[in-house]
Formats: sequence, structure tokens, C-alpha cells
Amino acid sequence: TTGDIDEEVPIAAKSAEDRKAAAALSTLDNREDDSAGAKDVDQEAVRKAMERLGGAAEMNGKVAKKDETKVVKKAVKVDPADVTLLVEELELTKTKATDLLKAHDGDATKALKAYIAPAA
Amino acid sequence: MPQQLSAKEQSLFRTVVRNYEDKQYKKGVKAADQILRKNPKHGDTLAMKALIMNSQGKTDEAFALAKVALQCDMKSHVCWHVYGLLYRAVKNFEEAIKAYKFALRLEPDSAQIQRDLALLQIQMRDYQGYIVSRRAMLTARSTLRQSWTALAVAHHLNGELAEAERVLTAYEDTLKHPPPKSDFENSEAVMYKNSLIAEQGDIPKALEHLESAGKYNLDKLAVLELRATYLAKLDRKEEAAKAYRALLDRNSEYKKYYDGLIEAMEIDPQDIKLRKAVYDGYAEKYPRCDAARRLPLDFLHGDDFQEAASGYIRRMLDKGVPSTFANLKHLYSDSSKKEVLPSLVQQYIDSDKSSANEEPKRNGDTSKGASAAYYFLAQHYNYYLSRDLDKAMEYIERAIELEPESVDFHMTKARIWKHYGDTQSASEVMEQARALDTRDRHINTKAAKYQLRNDDSEAAIKTMGLFTRAETVGGPLADLHDMQCVWFLTEDGQSYVRQGKIGLALKRFTSIYNIFDVWQEDQFDFHSFSLRKGQIRAYVEMMRWEDHLREHPFYSRAALSAVDVYIKIHDKPLMNGTNGVGNGDAEDAAERKKAAKKARKEAQKAERELAAKRAEPNKPTTPGSDDPKKKDDDPDGAKLAATTEPMNDAMKFLTPLLQFSPKSIDVQIAGFEVYIRRRKYLLALKCLLAAYALDKEHSKVHEQIVRFKLALDEDSEILPPKSAEVIKSEFTLLPAC
Amino acid sequence: MDIRLLQPSDIPHVQHANITNLPENYFMKYYLYHALSWPQLSYVAVDVSRPKKTPYDYPRIVGYVLAKMEEDPPDGVQHGHITSLSVMRTHRRLGIAEKLMRQSQKAMVETFGAQYVSLHVRVSNNAALRLYRDTLGFKNEKIEAKYYADGEDAYSMKLDLGFIREQIMDEQEAEEVDEGEPVGE
Repeated sequence: TTGDIDEEVPIAAKSAEDRKAAAALSTLDNREDDSAGAKDVDQEAVRKAMERLGGAAEMNGKVAKKDETKVVKKAVKVDPADVTLLVEELELTKTKATDLLKAHDGDATKALKAYIAPAA
Repeated sequence: MPQQLSAKEQSLFRTVVRNYEDKQYKKGVKAADQILRKNPKHGDTLAMKALIMNSQGKTDEAFALAKVALQCDMKSHVCWHVYGLLYRAVKNFEEAIKAYKFALRLEPDSAQIQRDLALLQIQMRDYQGYIVSRRAMLTARSTLRQSWTALAVAHHLNGELAEAERVLTAYEDTLKHPPPKSDFENSEAVMYKNSLIAEQGDIPKALEHLESAGKYNLDKLAVLELRATYLAKLDRKEEAAKAYRALLDRNSEYKKYYDGLIEAMEIDPQDIKLRKAVYDGYAEKYPRCDAARRLPLDFLHGDDFQEAASGYIRRMLDKGVPSTFANLKHLYSDSSKKEVLPSLVQQYIDSDKSSANEEPKRNGDTSKGASAAYYFLAQHYNYYLSRDLDKAMEYIERAIELEPESVDFHMTKARIWKHYGDTQSASEVMEQARALDTRDRHINTKAAKYQLRNDDSEAAIKTMGLFTRAETVGGPLADLHDMQCVWFLTEDGQSYVRQGKIGLALKRFTSIYNIFDVWQEDQFDFHSFSLRKGQIRAYVEMMRWEDHLREHPFYSRAALSAVDVYIKIHDKPLMNGTNGVGNGDAEDAAERKKAAKKARKEAQKAERELAAKRAEPNKPTTPGSDDPKKKDDDPDGAKLAATTEPMNDAMKFLTPLLQFSPKSIDVQIAGFEVYIRRRKYLLALKCLLAAYALDKEHSKVHEQIVRFKLALDEDSEILPPKSAEVIKSEFTLLPAC
Repeated sequence: MDIRLLQPSDIPHVQHANITNLPENYFMKYYLYHALSWPQLSYVAVDVSRPKKTPYDYPRIVGYVLAKMEEDPPDGVQHGHITSLSVMRTHRRLGIAEKLMRQSQKAMVETFGAQYVSLHVRVSNNAALRLYRDTLGFKNEKIEAKYYADGEDAYSMKLDLGFIREQIMDEQEAEEVDEGEPVGE
């Protein structure tokens, strides 16, 4: 019943050098060995550090949000026909075309001009 | 309602999973089929079977089966996870991420799914998503340093340096005792943290941290280099000079260290004597050092230059160093140095010293004395800034006369023939050189390259085959593909372009494209591996490099050639609507037509087969029905050459060129050629404006300006009004007309 | 020719140098494996004088040493291993190979506590043997029959790195004496 095993054995490497390379690379995505125990860590300190981190994360979340609102500051009206134009003429994705239009106050002409201008 | 398995079947299911992990695919399929006989709609089993089939190379069937699995059990995280893994396997990373996220919602505590998701996110450079994942993973395993480091790296790559540093510090604070000096993971973590501090620009803090936490760091070179840099930046010149001296004592062949030392010593750049003295010191201290003797030639002039260059050349010619000319040719941008150098060599020949050395060296390879001097002069007259090919040939013959067995001399002789434009003689001489040392792969490589330049593809692959591994299935060419031998594939492709074998040319260029895909994919395993190894700085460096991998000239050279071929195909379509050489000889055209027809038929057949397979996804597979390794169904590139949409195919190569090498004028010129044919006038103009900004004198750019104007005049009615308006206002390159 | 640490971005050119010069070749991932596991150990020689042809020129590598630490050494002794070393034919006789080796050997001791370094060399490769044995002081350990794909045997060679450990100790002592001196301007 094990006659089919042969197919599953990797092709033998041709030389000692090749064998070494193959062996090393086969361990790269090893999932097992990162479970090594923690060394010399103060559990209580870890708990506190995690708490602080959580707090900072929340704070960061807020900061990030603030930044976002700044970027999107005003809701720019975008004409779907202009989005189609940019998608067609500049071969952008819809999302990118919309962003480009928004960055230029929904003005398609300005957006096109900016896009084709050579980088400084 | 998902089917429930009996205890026996549950254990069988675990066997399936284990079989998969152990890569025992046939066994796994067998076990899965056994479960499915009683429970044909068991989602998890169907999913596992799909996963195994995918590993066997049956991707399409696997996908179909995974869909069935999901239909059977929408709420199974296993089904969604597998679905994601399949998408990941075909490199549809966006869909894979979606599926993983779905799986994770169903099973939030699965470390496996979370890990797979995180790795894909970083591979895709979804930094925000990666931070969220890493944070979750840290929460799950917060006592492990790796978890903290990973989160820090996530923030770092997202540009949040301070946050990254904070995360590292938070972990440090949890340690009861400072780790021992020999703790490599800690040692590297310290250096990583130091790089974060420096990257934030706080150099005093970085130096302070380096001198305290980094004092006994295991990466001694990094500490020495950083210390020197920091001290220099902080204007602590005397200490900086001392630090650079320590570096030079380790390695006196690194220009950066000399530059650092001289700057730290605050030597007036005009004070040539003082600068020279620094180098002289090291030349004396390290008799075998090359840099200390060579570098002053860059800034010395007049008599000083003459004297130093004379000393350098004598020393090198006496030793018969073959790279003497290569080491000096950059000086030729200075016209007086260009005069002085060959005259010094001539003096060397005329002096008594050389005659003493006229005997050939032991194994006849390269030379000493006179022959080395002739060799230098031959290279001098072969160099584009000082070219006189007849003289070059005269000198190389003299050198060969003294040392008839020298491989190096014959190599240069072949190069001279190449510059004459005589690829035939060039290749013949290179072959002579190869015969002089058949065990040396370098000369073998050169011989093959020259055969390709002479469009003798068959001889070239045979030459290459002398050093590829004989057992490789598919012969030398397959081995060169396996070993990612970019130079050969590129040269081979370019030779096929010259021979008019367009299919083979495209085939080679496509294989370069694929090699770069592999190189991009190669980083994947390192997202987890590097954390385990703890080598964080090297990992971050790799990430930055991979981000612009395709700017490499290895890519652009092949991609530009491919774009060129597609343009040729587009410009010479066959009468029957497919491409080919239109007004070439009739036989060729007929052959092309036939190839195109055949390729279309094959494609249709494959399509039908695929559809048929999809129609019956749940059919148990018979073992050994398919070869798991896909055969190349287009070895000569006939299908590639038979394209009906060459300009679309060109975009595959062009898009990365424009994205990663926008400052290359050749890339912008190629972009214009493709876009104008596709009547994408705004994009054509974008390339034209970019090319003009790079080099407004370029003759091709001028030609394109005129062609752009003509194309617009002819095609103005298809332009949307807004585009026409933009083009009118931005296309001002043509003098008023 | 600069001698400096190998960076990941050097790898395509290192791979190119390798397949140009030597019959034993590796795909890029194996180079990455070295560069990301022991980034302190691999060095390159770079032709810095080459004028740039495009804005995307990469430094041209004329020589390299690709080195590693032996993972889980069978003898339990930490040691380094040279996976590959070559110098372009056009840049031989400048002592580049030796200089690359010395940098790598030093880092093996400093960073990873290597006791010795090992390598394999074709029994017919006289030039390499001269470098390893006569210039660098390697000793023949044994012959490994048919080590190479074409059936050639390899010498397995070793160099004890004790002399570098001593150097490092001397340097440290000198440093401590230095720091003991009163700080003056």
C-alpha cells in the first residue's frame, strides 16, 4: 500500500553542496521552533507593559483618527464622469482616480495636469 | 447544517491534517476520500482535500473543491482558512487576506490563522493591518521577546519610529536581570534600538545609548562604525578621527573610512600634501594595502600625480596585476591624467627594469613586467575615451608574444575584435582563450557570452553546458533557469531578437520577469524566520531593498528588450489579423500564421479541459492521473509571439519599469512608444515630459515630440474635451507652430 | 576596490559573480538565508571607481565571501563555514580573496564565538589551495569523496581561530589601559 510513496520524496539533491542548501532552506518556514519559553521575564512587569501599550494604542488610535480627519477635512464632491475619465485616460484604479480628484478639489483638469507633470 | 463526524472519522481527519503537514499527499487524499464516502458534505474534509490537491499541483480542481467545501459549511474557519491558503498559493494576496480575516472572525483565537494573516499583510506592505495583527499576537504571547520585536518592526516599517522604540523599551523593562553578554538576541535588539534612535535624529542620545548599552555588543564592527559616524556628526572631531583610525586598522580597503578620517581631521581640502600624508601613513603601515596607494590619484594633480601614479603603476606592473587598467580608467575623465598614464607605462617599458622581467611567468597566466605593460596599453587603446583599435591590437599581440598562454591577454584581444564590430573573430579568439584554461568557469562564461553576441545560440548553450550540472532534467538551459542565471537568459533573448526568433526572445525575457517574481516571493519566509533568528536590522534592510527590487538593471534590461519586441510585433501585423513579420519573406509569415493558429487552438483546448474539470469538482481523484509538475506547453515561445494584443502584453513589462525606474530616459522613451500606439495620449505625454526633463537634447525625444504633434492632429476627435484641453496647455515642447 | 559587508541589495550581483566564476551555484533565497542569518559574516569587494551609467546602477561586485555559522554543529563546537568565495578573473592578484576571508574570520570570532572555520575545496583547485593553506593557514582535515556534483573529491579544511581570540583579548587590554588614563583635552 505504500507503493505511491516515492512520488512524495523530494528529488534527491545532486551533491553535498546542494543537499546543504536544500536542508537549510527547508527550515526557513519552520513553524514549530518559535515556541521557546520566555526567559527571565517578570510576569507582573509584562502585564503592566501590556497595559501601558494598550493605553498608548488607544491614544494612538485617536491621534491617527485626528490626522485622518485632517486629511479628508472637507468632503470634496467628485463627479462620477470625471472618475471614469481618469480611469480611462490615466489607467488608474477607481479608488486611485477618486483620491486624485479629491486631492485637486474635484477638478479633473487640474488632476490630469498634476498627474502628467514630470516629478521634480 | 454541517455534518458531524464519528469519533473514528475525527481521528481519520486528524490523519489527513498530519498527512498534509508531512507532505504525504496521496495518503492524505485517500484518508479524506474515506471520510467523504460516508460524509460527502463534510466541509472541513473537503477543504483539507482541496488543500492537498493544490499541493499536488491541481490548482483549479482544488479551488473548485474549496468552493464546494464553503457551500457545505460557511461557518467553518477551516474552510475559510483553506480558501485563503489557496488564494495565497496562486498569489492573489488580496483575496487571501479577505479569506483569512473571515476565518479569524469565526475563530479569533487561532494562532495559526492570525499568523498566516500577519505574514501576508507584511508581504503586501499593509502596515496598518500588520500592526493590528502583531498587537493581537503580542497579547497572546506577551512573555516572548519576539512578539515585542515584531510589533516594534511593524511600527518602524509604518514610519512610527518613536512608537517602535517605546515597544522595545517596554519589553526591556520586563526583564528581571540584564541578559548576559553572550545573548545574541539581546545584543541585536540593542543595536536595532540604537538604529531607531539614530533614525529619529537624536544623535546625542544614540551615542549615549551606544556607549552604555552597546559597549560590549557582539556586533563589534557595527558599534565601531556607528560610533565614528555619531562622533563626526556631533563635531567631536578628535574622537571621531580616532574612531576612524580604529576602523582603518581593521580594514584599510574601504574608501568611506579614509573620507571619514580626513574630514574628522579637519584638513583643508586644498591642502593636498596633508591629505596625501594620511594615505601614505597607511600605505606604509599596511604594505599589501591597495586603497591607500590608489585613492590619492583621485585628487592629486601635475607633478604630484605623475610621481604617485608612476609609483603605483610600477608596483602593479611588477606584480602583473591584471586589473591595473581597470583600477585607473576612471581617472580618464581628467584629460591630463589620460595623457600621463600611458606615458608612464611607456616609460616603464623603456626602462631597464622591464627587460629583466621579460621572461614569462610560471604557468603562463597573465604576466609580469613588459607583458603587463603591453597589456595595459592594449586596454588603454581599447577604452572608449582613448580608442585606437589598431594600436590596441598591436600591443595585445606583443603581450601575447611574450606570454602565448595568457588567458587574460586573449580575453582582451577578443574585446578589441568586439569593438571592431567583428563578432565572429571576437568569438573565435574568446574560444581560444577558453581552450587555454578549460577548468576556469570565468573564461568559459566569457566564451559563451561572445558566442551569443555572434548569434551562435547553439554553441553558447553547449559551452555553458560544460559547467552546468549534468543531471538536471532539461539540460543546461533548465539548470541555468534553476540557478537564475540572469545574464545568460538576457543575452540569449537579445541574440534571438537579432536573429528574428521573436518567440524565443520573448520566452527568455519572460523568464527574467518570472525570476524577479520569485525574488519578490523569496522574502516571504523571512518575515517569520528573521524574528526567530533575531537579526532585525538585516531584515529591515532586506524589506527596503525588496520594495524597489525591480529598479535593478537586471530587470530593466530584459524588460526594455521585451517592450521593444512587442512594439515590433505591433508594427508589423500579418494580413490575417494576427501579428508577425508582415513584409518579411512569405515563408516566415506563413510559418507564423500557422504557429498563431496552433497556439490559439491549444489555448482553446486547455480552456475546455479546465471547464470540464470545474464541472465535476467532487469527483475523487485517481492517483497519478496528472503530473504534479507542470510541463512547459510553450517551450519556443510560439504562443507568446502569436499574441493578438502585443501592446497589452508590453504593459506587463512596462508598468514596473515606469514605477521603479522613472528616472531612466530609456524607460520613458519606451513608455511613450507603447502609449502612443495605444492612443493613450495623456500617458504618452507624461512619458514625453519626463523624458524631456531628463535630457532635452536627446534626439529620440525630439523625434517623439514631432510624432506626438502629428498623432494629435490626426486623432484629435477621439480625445475627450478635458484631455484635449490639458494636452493643449501642457504640450508646449514644440516651438510655436 | 572597497572591501565591505555584504548588503541584501548586493545579492543579484553576488549571484552573478558566483555563476560567472564557479560551478557551484545557488538561488537567491540561499544568499538571503546567509545575509539574514549572519549578516556580519559575508563580505564583498566592490569596484567603486566605475562611472555610473544610469541612475539605477548597483555597485559592481568583483569578489565576495559568503559565510555562515554551522547550525547545530555535530561536534558541538561553534564554528564558521565558508559557503562560497570567488573573485572575478579580471581582479585577481590584488589579494582580494585573502582580505575578504580575514574580515569574515574576525567577525566569526567576535560576534558568534567561533572556535574554528571550515570549508571545502576541490582537490584540483591549486590556486585556492595555495590561498587557504599557505596564505591563511588552513589545514587539511580529510578528503570527502565525490563531494561535488561532477564527482570530484573535496578537501575538507579547517583553520583554528584561536589566534584571533588572542588578538581580540590584546586589543581589549589595550583599550582598558587607554581608558584608565586621565581624560584630558
